[in-house]
Formats: sequence, C-alpha cells, structure tokens
Amino acid sequence: MPVYSLYMGCSVPANYPNYEAAMFKVAEALGMELNYLEDVACCGSPNLRSIDSFGWLLVNARTIAIAEKSGHDIVTPCNGCFGSLKDVLYHLKHHKDDLKKINVELEKMGLEFKGTINVRHIIEAMYTDIGIKEIKSKVTKPLDGVGIAIHYGCHLLRPVDVTEFKPEVLQEMVYATGATVIDYPLWKQCCGATVLPVNEQLAIRLARDKLKSMKESGAVFITVVCPACGNQLDLQQLGLKDSYGEVYDLPVLLYPQILALAMGMDEEDIGLSMNRVPADPILDHLSG
Amino acid sequence: MTETEEKTGPPVTLIDPIDMTKLDANFRRDISSMPNGEELSACFACSTCTAACPIANQWNYKPHQLIRMILLGMRDEVLSSKEIWECLTCFQCQERCPQNVRVTDIFFDCKNLAAEEGYVPENIIALAKSLVEKGQLYEIINDWEREDLGLEPEVPGLSIEGIQSILKGTRTHKLVEGDE
Amino acid sequence: MIIYPVEVILVVTGPVLVIGAGVAGMTAAVELADNDVKTILIDRKTTIGGNALELYKAFPTDDCFYCFEGNRWRPGIRKCFYRSAMIDQPNIDLKISTRVKGISGTPGTFLVNLEVGPQYVDPRKCTLCGLCTDASEAFHLVSPQCQPQAVSYNPERADDGAKKAEEDCPTGAINLSATQTEETITVSDIVIATGYHEMKPSTIDEYGYGKLPNVITQLELAQMLDPNGESSGALLRPSDGAQVKSVMMIQCVGSRDENYYPFCSKICCVFALKHASIISKERNNSRVSVVYMDIRTYDRHERYYRETRDAGVEFVRGRVSRVEAHKDGTLDVYVYDSLLNKYLKFVVDLLVLSSALEPPEASNELISSLGLNSASGYVGSADPLSENEVVAGDHVYACGGALGPAEVPESVNQARAVVSKILQGRK
Repeated sequence: MPVYSLYMGCSVPANYPNYEAAMFKVAEALGMELNYLEDVACCGSPNLRSIDSFGWLLVNARTIAIAEKSGHDIVTPCNGCFGSLKDVLYHLKHHKDDLKKINVELEKMGLEFKGTINVRHIIEAMYTDIGIKEIKSKVTKPLDGVGIAIHYGCHLLRPVDVTEFKPEVLQEMVYATGATVIDYPLWKQCCGATVLPVNEQLAIRLARDKLKSMKESGAVFITVVCPACGNQLDLQQLGLKDSYGEVYDLPVLLYPQILALAMGMDEEDIGLSMNRVPADPILDHLSG
Repeated sequence: MTETEEKTGPPVTLIDPIDMTKLDANFRRDISSMPNGEELSACFACSTCTAACPIANQWNYKPHQLIRMILLGMRDEVLSSKEIWECLTCFQCQERCPQNVRVTDIFFDCKNLAAEEGYVPENIIALAKSLVEKGQLYEIINDWEREDLGLEPEVPGLSIEGIQSILKGTRTHKLVEGDE
Repeated sequence: MIIYPVEVILVVTGPVLVIGAGVAGMTAAVELADNDVKTILIDRKTTIGGNALELYKAFPTDDCFYCFEGNRWRPGIRKCFYRSAMIDQPNIDLKISTRVKGISGTPGTFLVNLEVGPQYVDPRKCTLCGLCTDASEAFHLVSPQCQPQAVSYNPERADDGAKKAEEDCPTGAINLSATQTEETITVSDIVIATGYHEMKPSTIDEYGYGKLPNVITQLELAQMLDPNGESSGALLRPSDGAQVKSVMMIQCVGSRDENYYPFCSKICCVFALKHASIISKERNNSRVSVVYMDIRTYDRHERYYRETRDAGVEFVRGRVSRVEAHKDGTLDVYVYDSLLNKYLKFVVDLLVLSSALEPPEASNELISSLGLNSASGYVGSADPLSENEVVAGDHVYACGGALGPAEVPESVNQARAVVSKILQGRK
C-alpha cells in the first residue's frame, strides 16, 4: 500500500471540509495511506511569496524537511500549497546559495532540507501510483457521459518545469468516472481568485469569462482540484446571479467528489450539500 | 505630456520625455541578479507576455512594458505600480515567453523589492497580518461541518508557532509591525 | 563510336573579366584561375578587398575577412590564402586603379575598354620599408593586410617629400610621373562583382549626419573599432577625441524608406549588433542603445541578437524625434518608444546610423551598357523567376553585393555559383 505524507494547508480544512472528506474516502477505497503531516505551517501562497520571498522559502522548506524525515512523498489537495511547495523544491534544487542560507536557518530548528522527497498533487498520485485501470475497476455508477469542464488551476499546470503536471492526467481521471471532458476555449485561464484581495471587480470578470466559456461549450458541471479555484467559481456564480441576473447553474465539484459518486459512495459522506451551486443535476447522470 | 494647465509658470513643452539620465540604471541589474532574473536581458519585447495575459487590457502598463521599464531603469514607476500586485500569477506569460524570461517570477521579485520599499496594498498587509497573528490565511469558522464529515475540528497538523517564529525574523514582521 | 560535332568542343575559351575585387570578385577569380581559366580581375581602388577590408571583424566568424572559415582547405597557405593567390596564381591578371570605360562586341566576345589609372607605385618592387610614408603624407599604407602589399600614393597631397621619396626609394618602385592609360581587352564572359556602397545619409535631416561630427555611419564606426585604425581601436568622439561612454545606433536609416531605398539592406542589423556587442564587451564602460523598427537577424544570426541583449545592450523599438547637439560634444537624442508609448531622452556621445546599402556608382552604367535588368539599382537576374540568380545576361554574371546587400558567406556562394556556370558552359 503506497504511503504518503499529507499536507492539508489551511484552505481545504477551512473552506472545503467536503473536499477533505471525499479525498479520504476515495484514497481509502484505492488503498492509499494518507498520514497528516504534523507540526507544519501554512504555505503562505502566493501572498507571502510576494512580500517576503525568504520567509516563504523558509516556511515551505521547513515543511519539506519535516516530511523528509518520514521518507514519504508529500501529497496535497490544494493547488496553492502544491504550487508553493513545488516552487520551493525547484528553487532550492536550482539555487545552491539560497539552499545554504535556508539550511542554516533550518539547523536552528533541528532540521535539514536534503531534497530527498517529491511534492505531488493528490490527483497525480492517484493517477500514477494506482492507475486508471484500477480506478476504473472501482467505478460502479459511471457518470453516463455527462459533460464536465475541467478547471485545472494555474498553479497545477504552470510553470511546467516546476509543477511537472500534465493536463492529460486530470482528463483521464475524469474519463475514468464515465464522464466526458468538455473542451472550452478559456481552459487555461485563471479563475481570478488570486486577485480578489486587490481588485474584486477584476476577479469577478475573470470568473465570469471562464464560466461563460464553459457554459457556451456545453458543460453540465465543473470539476476542480483546488479549494481557491473551487471557491471562486462556485461563489461568483451566486454573485453574478445577484448583481447581473446571470445564471450559469454550473455545479462545482472537487474531483474526489465525482470519483466518490462514480464509486457509488453516499453523497452525504462527501458533503455534496455544502457545494453552493446545488449539485442535483449530477445525480441524474449516475447510472447503475 | 500635455500638462499645459500647471498653475505656476509657463506651460511645459508638448513633448516631455522621460530623462534617461534620471532613471536608475542599477534597477535592471538588481532584478537580473535575483534568482529569477537570469534571463531578463533576453527579452526582445515581442509582447507575447501581454498577448498571453488575461487582464493586461485593464492595465496602464502591460507586462511587456513592465519588463521594458525594468530594462530602462524605471524603478519607482515599476515598484509603485498597481499592476505588479494585480498579477494573477497564472504564469501564462512565463509559459509562452519565447526567450524563457521568467516574467511572472520576475514580478514576484518586483513585489519583494516593492515590499522592501514599503509599497504594499493594504489588503495584502492584512493577509500578512493574519499569517503572523493566526499562523494561517484561512481559519475554520464552521467546525460543525468538519465534525459532520467525521473530520477533526482543527486544521490538521497546523503549527501556528512554526510560521510565526519564522516570520518574526523576516520582512513580513516588519511590514505588519510598520502597519500598526 | 560516336564522333561529336566540332562545335561542342570549340566553345568559348577566352579570358573572363571580373569587375570588382571584393569578397565575391576575388573568390570568383581564384576559383576560375584554379580551373585553368584565364581571369582578368580589376578594381578601381589601389588595394583590393572592397568593403570587407573596412569591416574590422566580419560576421559570421568574427574573423578578419581574409580568414573566413570556408577557405581553409586550400593547401599550403593556411588561412590567408588570398594574399598570395592574388599575386602568385599565374592565371589571374590583377589590375588595380582600373575601371571599365566602355563595353562593345557580342556575348562570348566582349570588347572591353579599360581605363587604367596611373601606377605610381609598382607593387612588385615595393617592400613596405616605410621610407616614403615617413617622408610624405601623400604615401600611406591602406591596411597592413592590403593587397597588393604596397603603399598607395595620393597625388592630391603631393609635396617635396614625395619627390624625395621617389628618388630615395631603395627599390625604385615609385614613379610619380605615371599617367593614366587605356587598353582594350577581349573577354568571353563578364562577372560583375561591384559590391555595395554605404549611403551617406546627409539628406536625412533629423539625424544631423554631415553637420554634427559625432554622428557617423556603421562603416565609419567599424574603422574606429579597428585596432589598425587611427585610434588603435579606442572609441573616441570625433568632435574632441574624448572617450565615448554611450553610443546609440539607429537602424533602417534610408532603408525600407520609399524616399530613399525601398528595400531592407539585410545585413545592417547583424553588423550593428556585432558592433554593439564588441563595444559593450571590449570597450569598457560604454553603454549601447539600439533604436530599431524590426530587428532582422535572419537565420542563425539570431544569436547576435541574443548575445547583444545578454551583453547589456539596450534595445528601443521606435524612432528618433530629433537630435540636439551640446557644446560639450554630447548629443541629446529624443526617441519615441513605441512599445512603451513614451518619449525618452538619451544623452549620448556617439550616434551611429545604420545607413542603407546602395548600389555603387558603376552599377548603373554597367546595367545600361550591357542591357541588364535593374533591381532597385543593383544588377537584377536575367530571369527573376529562375533559380539562376547569378545569371544577369548572356555570358554576363553577377555575384555578391552587386546583386544587393550580401554577407560574406553568401557572396562566396554566389561567386562559386558563377564559376560553376562558366565552367559548365565550357564543357
């Protein structure tokens, strides 16, 4: 059974406990052992990186150094955490001077960054370590060809030399549930979550463009693998309805929720009712 | 350029150019000596970054112009710009740059320099404050939701002191302190 | 056994005239000569080499042009093969200070009237001892690498020292009473290799060329940078000899301009960048800015663009509004930066114009007397649609800068194409 150090970050536990729950349910069914990393700090992304790159390096180097002690790769369900940890990993492997400085600080905490483990998104771990074949074999209620728009999230895909994540991974994972992946023109575009603190109007317009592109391409619902993206696409639909009377009705599901449904799990166990845009249309597409 | 309504003195000339001798020629070097700036000088201003940026149309300074401003030495204009803080960090510019300029990463470096010089938007300071004081960006408000799902009520494994003690010695603390 | 008709064997075997002894002309002459074709190579100057002689370092190898890579194969002479080839190859008849006065006859048997300038110094006798150059300013050595290896004499600077030098010359190489002569030769083929000429942009008002001493052209800059030049390669302001600290280059001066030359001069981007790179890497503390509309570093020359950016050269896409000179010798250059949509004001010591490369004076006369096509004043191909770019007419060929601005390797390739065509016609 593959074993992982699970880095939760703060956003999933605070805003998406249903993501957390669904991830555990699915991981258990797939035979993955997820152990919470203890005594680790918030990744601070991307705000901390913007104002204090050294603090950001140190905080995340510390997390990786703690995980290195167990020897297992870090997995995380959050693109923000993934991007931060992965970026720091990349940075310290490519900038020896900074690595030295960081290790001087870590030594004071009884830690050392060695670069012996990897940081991975939980979805990629499922895909690579369990495999599509095995995942498909667990699907008992396939999603009946329903059109899903994938929002990957910027920090999952880019920069690719840092994240090492290929979009095909998530596409195949969606197909494995029996659903269909909808191509839409703005698939690469940012959801706008990062600009919320400094320009809310801009954030809303980004989400709107994105939702519009998905809707016009025939998506029935959206899947995401990041709490910030999920929150933004979900929440802004309510806002757009209130402010402009625009109705998108695109339920936003975290990928493990979809897989859980396809595996025949109970919707209560994965907190489907906590998703803001009602997820009812999805249930119609479950067969078997 | 046509500021002819100055209250004192005669009107300024129609073309009021940026005086290159008054710019900071070291700015370019400062940025290129930072870890992400290695390829800065490779920029040939093709403006692919601006073409890739989903929000540049809303900006006074487009991404390729910001890079040009760095190369020309327009330190104050870049560091005090709102644009660097509105950068989505979506990395589309960086991904598409034909010369491997790490555009998004360079904007991160600019924000760090801006922070050093005290140009940080209030809301970002507020987030920093939350990191320093609460050790996290997001707090659990509805812990019953977690309990309903069989999850522990607190953020699992989170060490508040871990980040607090680290940030005590770095710029974040100064920014937050300075704000108080 | 088939006996071929006599005419197949009796093809033209007369000598070939190559007009212009630059890179293209020399290559054509040497390669024809090596194939046992008698070749008459003429040049209007007293020393051969053409524009390339004045380039300091020629791209793409950054060598002195005599040494470009492609010719190292020639046995026994190592790199600088032209030096001896021009003089020692018995099939080449080199005539310096010579120009074409008229052409008559028919293709295959052209009668060419040559005007041979006075041969003041006999290159076969001159030993470069330095006696005459010490005695009078009328004598000078164009370049240590010049061919033929002899001093040149400028009658406009004649003085008593020159007369004395004529008497004292240890080898009796000097003849100041030499006069211009004429001769008519019969040749089977004519190769036009008259090269290009760098436009003197004094009519383009906004740059102040010709009025402001610190405004120069790229070829003038190349001569300043040449370690064999007057300042030994140091970059000094023409106005007062002060050290140059900042240089600005302006691209497309007179090129791509319907008021001057509508074509792109093709190689000025690369040689401007070559100079920018040399200045920022080898001339300490000099800052270089390049103002451009497009940078056209075609093909592999893109590396020059990349290297100059890496070297810290500043690129400004836009155009110059105006240039203002200060009494202290510096120039204020106002530039509109079209990427930034702002006006910038630079203070520079030297403004270098990448001026259009225009056809040389001789080009038009040759085109009309031989009834050739003109391509914006350069020699045009006989059939522009064919792949035989170098065939300008019946038994008339052109190569190198004569066809339009060309870099060294391209000139060499075209020269070889000409040689190949001529040899095929003789099989």
